[in-house]
Amino acid sequence: METAKKTQEERGAGFRRYKTKNLVIELLPIIVLALLFAIYMTVITIRGYKMELQLTRLFNQAIVLVTVATGATFIYALGSFDISLGASVLFACTMGVLTYNATSSVALLLLVIVACGVGCSLLSASLATFFKIPPFVTTVAMMSVLSAIATTLININNTSGGTASITLPLNLLDPISSVWIKALIAGAFILLCVFVFNFTKVGRRIKFLGGNPTCAKLSGIPASVYTIIAFGIAGLGVGIGALLTLAYTPSVSSGTAGSIGMNIFVAIVFGGMPISGGAKSKIYASLIGGFSYMLLNQILLWLIGTSMNGVAQIISAALFLLIVFLTSLNYRTRLLPR
Amino acid sequence: MTQETIVIQEKEPLLQVRNIVKTFGIVKALSDVSFDLYPGEILGLIGENGSGKSTVSSIIAGMQKADSGEIFFQGKPWSASSMVDALDKGIGMIVQETGTIPGISVAENVFLGEIERFRVSHFPFAPLNKKKMNQEAEKILSLVDLHDISGSLMTGALDFVTRKLIEIAKVISKNPSIMIVDETSTALNQTGRQTLYRLMKEYRNAGKAVIFISHDLDEVIEQCDRLIVLRDGHFIQDLPKKDFSEDGIKKLMVGRSVAGDYYRSDYDGSFDPEVVMELKDASIPGSLDHVSLQIHKGEILGISGLSHCGMHTLGKVLFGARQLSDGEYLLHGKTVKNEANAMREKVGYVAKDRDTESLNLNASVSDNIAIAGLNSFSRGNFLVLYPDEKKYVNEQIDELQIKCFDRSQFVSTLSGGNKQKVVFGKWVGCGSEILILDCPTRGVDIGVKQFMYHIMYQLKKEGKTLVLISEELPELLGMSDRLIVMKDGKIQKEFPRSKDLRDVDVINYMI
Repeated sequence: METAKKTQEERGAGFRRYKTKNLVIELLPIIVLALLFAIYMTVITIRGYKMELQLTRLFNQAIVLVTVATGATFIYALGSFDISLGASVLFACTMGVLTYNATSSVALLLLVIVACGVGCSLLSASLATFFKIPPFVTTVAMMSVLSAIATTLININNTSGGTASITLPLNLLDPISSVWIKALIAGAFILLCVFVFNFTKVGRRIKFLGGNPTCAKLSGIPASVYTIIAFGIAGLGVGIGALLTLAYTPSVSSGTAGSIGMNIFVAIVFGGMPISGGAKSKIYASLIGGFSYMLLNQILLWLIGTSMNGVAQIISAALFLLIVFLTSLNYRTRLLPR
Repeated sequence: MTQETIVIQEKEPLLQVRNIVKTFGIVKALSDVSFDLYPGEILGLIGENGSGKSTVSSIIAGMQKADSGEIFFQGKPWSASSMVDALDKGIGMIVQETGTIPGISVAENVFLGEIERFRVSHFPFAPLNKKKMNQEAEKILSLVDLHDISGSLMTGALDFVTRKLIEIAKVISKNPSIMIVDETSTALNQTGRQTLYRLMKEYRNAGKAVIFISHDLDEVIEQCDRLIVLRDGHFIQDLPKKDFSEDGIKKLMVGRSVAGDYYRSDYDGSFDPEVVMELKDASIPGSLDHVSLQIHKGEILGISGLSHCGMHTLGKVLFGARQLSDGEYLLHGKTVKNEANAMREKVGYVAKDRDTESLNLNASVSDNIAIAGLNSFSRGNFLVLYPDEKKYVNEQIDELQIKCFDRSQFVSTLSGGNKQKVVFGKWVGCGSEILILDCPTRGVDIGVKQFMYHIMYQLKKEGKTLVLISEELPELLGMSDRLIVMKDGKIQKEFPRSKDLRDVDVINYMI
């Protein structure tokens, strides 16, 4: 009797420690974001930079990353990843610009951008389902194909004298180029994702599938259907991200959105998303991680300077590895036998 | 103390475990556990799920470190950096769940960590002499009576029992002084069990020692020379063979008397004549051979046989997880193409391989219970709200008396018995009218077993259908309205429920 009581007390204390530890882990990305923002603001103040200008620039850079990453969280929750997201944004931008230049229709521009984003993602997922191969394999192929098509189209329709590029009329997307409208568009998409991810059967099933595909199959969750849904949502994020890219810079070159695929991966992990996906996946990881990553890059750029850009990248990479190590450490302790 | 025990204990202990303490996040798994292991004995380590048996044995086997305490092996302080290191130094362990790697060959699994010795030269990237490696692996496999398994086969293609035997072979090939057998026998068929018992006895006779962990009290009593009882991470008693009694051991394990009314007490094997599932000439090459079967509403259909008899495949077919090559399967008169089809017809499936097939270990109790019942509590068949989910999950936790701190606790931190209750909650909660239970009491302690039999009988009385696939004849005889015996993918015999039915009557048709 005494043993049982003692054990119960020990377990109760253990559970409180466990909850506290979990809470700290949950809050850590937010604390890091706040810390980075404080450093960012300090540097702006000390160096006398124009605050509004810097904040607008930070927002414009981060919002595309955050939007695409939020959609991509559905793929990461499956325990998979999509390396072609940057190429998809480039492709969608290219097709959008070419469509407008051919038809002068903004409605068609919007339609084509979104259709291309969703279409590219669905194609990756469908090919993976059809050939029964991991989705990231098809995204590797898609990355090459989409980049090649976009670059070819840009070269053919090149309108500039220097680096090959295609452009929209300068003021065409002015109505959506303000920070507030962009925030509204991205915010609406993020809210939609939060809703689907946390409050619908689709989101719950995607997370479960990512945690254990075998168990998910034997719980009536068809992997192919939910993979296609996840990629479809990610594709919508690509389309909206492409629109926001064009609203920021109406010119598209082969380098547009080039690094976004890898940046998303790093940003999501920075935001507290487990690298293996599953039940602990968090939709807000992209929002927190996207801004944290952009803040970190900017701070390192200011402190180290553009000539030492490589050092900044090495520091980012080291931090990335540290976060993955810490999260996997937590993951491993939970799997020890009893 | 028996004469044999006295003789054993006059020797110096082979292993001394002193005041071991281990904590896993929320749980203190071991509190000051101490015991000795002597050469020439088979020591049973018993206790309920979560009592700390696997934890203490995994510490001994180098899988993890204790928070405090000491271990002495052959009189010297013992420490091992990994299981491979421990095995090299003389202590080997066969783990509870599958310890083989599916994506590599059988031979590569057998020689895991020592593949280098099969390179044709000392150059690190030299090719492997696979022929030699396979031949040596096959020799080792013959030690566990696996005479027809090629070393070149992919491990993932083999069934659970064969993989377990490969793991045993891997350990004994190193000839350790101590062999730890952690909850292995329930994963084996009768032949595999006999092989394991033979090996354990050979170990004892050679002056080595075995730590044997099992929930099957009959085999514990039969095979072990001495028992150490653990409860909630505490040492409870050191029990010599002369004091072995089933009721006494149960009481020590659970901390209270376990009533004798283990299975259902009635012999009324009646059920509704309505056919809910029907197999017509069902065949899958190598697994099922023209099986025809009708399963009725309100029936507990027991399916028995040796591990390779096709009964586990049959369970998967009934849930739509395996498709027939030939023949027909009708569920409520409709064909079933996949698991989702079966679930729509209110079929649930408790898989044998619990940790891989039935549970998402890296998810909470809530996630696991709710996943099959999303259709039951979602609004508009779409919207999942936390209050609805909380109510749904808490009902299952209360009903099934799942020991967890709250529904957010990760399933990986629960004991085996409570994990299995979560699986039951998952399928009972969503209103399954038909439950396919493949070895549902594998690896769970007597208290949980008794509870599960009670739930099964309750479900039958509610008019639900249960297909009970098991390698434990007593539970099949104790629970089934009708018992079929399978062999080589065919139905050999059918027995109605009867108090006169004995296990020997059934075994004759199994082997």
